[in-house]
Amino acid sequence: MDGARPGHRYRMVNIRSGYVIVEHEVHSRAMRSYFSPEGVPPIEEYREGPQIWKFTGQAQTVHFDLMDSETGVVTRFDDLMGLVSYTACRQDGDIYRLGELAQEQRIWLYVAVTHRPSDGPPRAEWIEKLRVLNRYFNERLQTPNKKILILPDYFGLHAEFNHGQIMADFELTAMEVEA
Amino acid sequence: MTTKEVAERLELKGLTPVFDKPVTGVYISDMVSDVIANAKAGNVLITLQVHNNVIAAANLVDIAAIVLTRGRTPAPEASALAEKAEISVFSTPMDSWQVATKLYEAGIR
Repeated sequence: MDGARPGHRYRMVNIRSGYVIVEHEVHSRAMRSYFSPEGVPPIEEYREGPQIWKFTGQAQTVHFDLMDSETGVVTRFDDLMGLVSYTACRQDGDIYRLGELAQEQRIWLYVAVTHRPSDGPPRAEWIEKLRVLNRYFNERLQTPNKKILILPDYFGLHAEFNHGQIMADFELTAMEVEA
Repeated sequence: MTTKEVAERLELKGLTPVFDKPVTGVYISDMVSDVIANAKAGNVLITLQVHNNVIAAANLVDIAAIVLTRGRTPAPEASALAEKAEISVFSTPMDSWQVATKLYEAGIR
């Protein structure tokens, strides 16, 4: 299913369908998201200590892990909510500027947005996972000189994300133009 | 078969310049996360979806061309993104099943 060929070190495994559930905390208005593999997306509000979490939105999505065929090690991507192309970001922002700079070398910039980002810089473990994700996509490219670079969310996209920016299936009919 | 040959054989309307690339197969989906997980480099993507994110996902997995069915046309910024990514985008009044059938008859598996 993943187009693995001889010479491809990584292959996609544990592909599973489900939903990205976005929720907010009633008092603090904090937002977070998680992946639900259930057939019907959970939308009930619930308590977590003094906090009350309410359903905000959902999107169908597909989650996956990557297996290193040389070592058999599986890298799990449970934390990955989706990817954002730099082209979906504000043109006066850092991501877009970096993306345009990378474009001069035929490098396409994406940002990996996680469900529950930790405070401070991304953990070393997450950087290592993104190294694997970058290898997976780049080893499959056929267009000459093209490169993909997926960066951790150094830009705080999770905190200010617009669902339509993220490559999960949020609100994808919003820009539809009938012929 | 190449993207140019596919366009000629199916009489597709080009919405971007044609970037002639080898076609490795076909994938049909309207979900970007599904495209990321399952489409392969060099595939022709058949879809109804015209959102920018479909182009971004197609670029990530190095799709050769996108065929928008039932006469869909993307917003100008989506077409511009596809052109920048050198992904040919075509439109056709056919539905996805008809396009898939014709591609199968053309020998693409």
